[in-house]
Amino acid sequence: MARADPTEPRVGGGEGRAASARTWQTKLRDALPWYLFIAPAVILLAALFAYPLFDTLRLAFYKWGGLGRQEFVGLQNFRRLFADEIFWLALRNSFIFAIVVPFGTVSLGLFLAVAISRRLKGWQVYRIAFFIPVMISGVVVATLWANMYEYNSGLFNTVLRGIGVGGLAQNWLGDRKIALWSIMLVPVWQHMGFPMIVLLAAIEGIPQDLHDAATVDGVSEPQRVWYLILPLIRPVFASITMLQIIGAMKVFDLVLVMTKGGPAFSTEVLGYYVFETAFRSGHFGYGSAIAVVMFVVVFVIAYTYVKCVRIEKIEY
Amino acid sequence: MAIGTPEHVATRLFGGSLRSIVYALLISGALVEVYPIFFLLMNTQKTDTEILNTPFALPTRLTLAGFKDVWTGDRTGMFFGRYFLNSLVVVVATLIFMLAVSCLCAYAMARGQFPGNAALHQTLLLTLAVPAHALAIPLYFFMGRLGLRNSLMGLTLVYTTLGAPFTIILMRAYFMRFPIELEDAARIDGCSRLGVFIRIVLPISRGSIAGMAIININWIWSELFFALILMNRLDMRTLPLAIAMYKPAQMTVETVLQLQYSAMAIATIPVLIMFFLFQQQIAQGMTAGAFK
Repeated sequence: MARADPTEPRVGGGEGRAASARTWQTKLRDALPWYLFIAPAVILLAALFAYPLFDTLRLAFYKWGGLGRQEFVGLQNFRRLFADEIFWLALRNSFIFAIVVPFGTVSLGLFLAVAISRRLKGWQVYRIAFFIPVMISGVVVATLWANMYEYNSGLFNTVLRGIGVGGLAQNWLGDRKIALWSIMLVPVWQHMGFPMIVLLAAIEGIPQDLHDAATVDGVSEPQRVWYLILPLIRPVFASITMLQIIGAMKVFDLVLVMTKGGPAFSTEVLGYYVFETAFRSGHFGYGSAIAVVMFVVVFVIAYTYVKCVRIEKIEY
Repeated sequence: MAIGTPEHVATRLFGGSLRSIVYALLISGALVEVYPIFFLLMNTQKTDTEILNTPFALPTRLTLAGFKDVWTGDRTGMFFGRYFLNSLVVVVATLIFMLAVSCLCAYAMARGQFPGNAALHQTLLLTLAVPAHALAIPLYFFMGRLGLRNSLMGLTLVYTTLGAPFTIILMRAYFMRFPIELEDAARIDGCSRLGVFIRIVLPISRGSIAGMAIININWIWSELFFALILMNRLDMRTLPLAIAMYKPAQMTVETVLQLQYSAMAIATIPVLIMFFLFQQQIAQGMTAGAFK
């Protein structure tokens, strides 16, 4: 038995304590290099992620114009928020965005993935064609579409007038009844290739014998997709849907470039409203309160997803 | 053709009208996806009058005039050459910095036994659900206090922080599958932890690290929100910011659209080239990200 230091008082458990102190020291010595490995990342994340996040939570309870004293106002920012019509519009629009856009990208992506997995003629070409827009900057896409939507000389209205249905020409981004829908079409166009590529990989991960088994006479293609493929790719399907929903909740570039939240706040979304309130109007406390609400909404969606739709492994 | 190959199945199942409908959808869809990008590139070669009056006509001549004007900024007051360089510096610096920091951290998390390891992993997963807007206001003032506003270094640090959690999580998963025997052998030879990491682990992981670079390159090149907040000096803009803020010095130029399209093409062409060079890796990288 290892003897403890003779000066150690011989009371019950003294030896145990010394031993545990030593293992604690060895443990620390073993752990130290690892702490040095993680230090750069942890310091960076603490300074530029954790600190700003908690400071946003704090600022939400203050009134502050950016310079001078920060005045503690308790829940006043949140009371003001709940009475703020523009905030409710922004929240509503963000939700519409987070439902419509992922629905469009994921369902179209699934269709494309199934078609391409069937190796229809020219499948390589479709795969590339649908994926190209995914790679392009959001700002470029937004500017391009804003030009195509332009009322007098944009591509859409030119085509409509050209084929003799000029009456259908719309003020796509200037009419508050359709502006939000015009904007939502853009990410559907841009991003459908992303679920496509991911779901395609999932479908091709299903063993061939399962595909063969399902390819019995009398099973139609839609039935095959619904009863065989979808259940087997459920984890990936859920995961990509989630990514699309969270991405849509955070929309910013499109609104900034195309409408700046207008006309009449009909395209105002949370991400843009935070920016406008804080960096355009200089209400940093109030802007923080909106950011906190946005944070909570996104976090709750993500958390619910992780708890409910756990990404378990599918056993074939 | 063997029985049971996808081609065989396709001809059997997609019979008749369903088949033609699917083809019609695929072909028209592919055209709708690609045409706007073709339109963008085509308009860099046309005058404003041509762009407006004959939008579908192909350009009648090839010219680099539009590119030259926005690149040098002589007549337009917008220096896209400078913005391109800013973007390039930020992308390269962020990739180097982020990959270094993330690989070190991910390796420690995969191999090390230290208190806080599991908690760190949980925290990183949680950060993925935090929208960047929830950081923006304090970051703006903090970077100001550090003198890192209007600084490419400042923007690089912010992007590194934003991209690190995701990169660490994916790299950690990779290092956990890494064969430990190689490292043990080197440890016995007296190599330090860092030595093992640099001499043994990193060289073998080249492919995986390149994959991480490819996943991240795209969002860094396109990022607008923090560039908009942190870079308000004209000469410090990045490409996405300069395109979003595009406003030519009126009166001095008669062409506006052609220049705007040229500016957009400057941001797009490198991405297209990269896409065609690394198509397979990009698709794989993005898929791996979504599978986690």
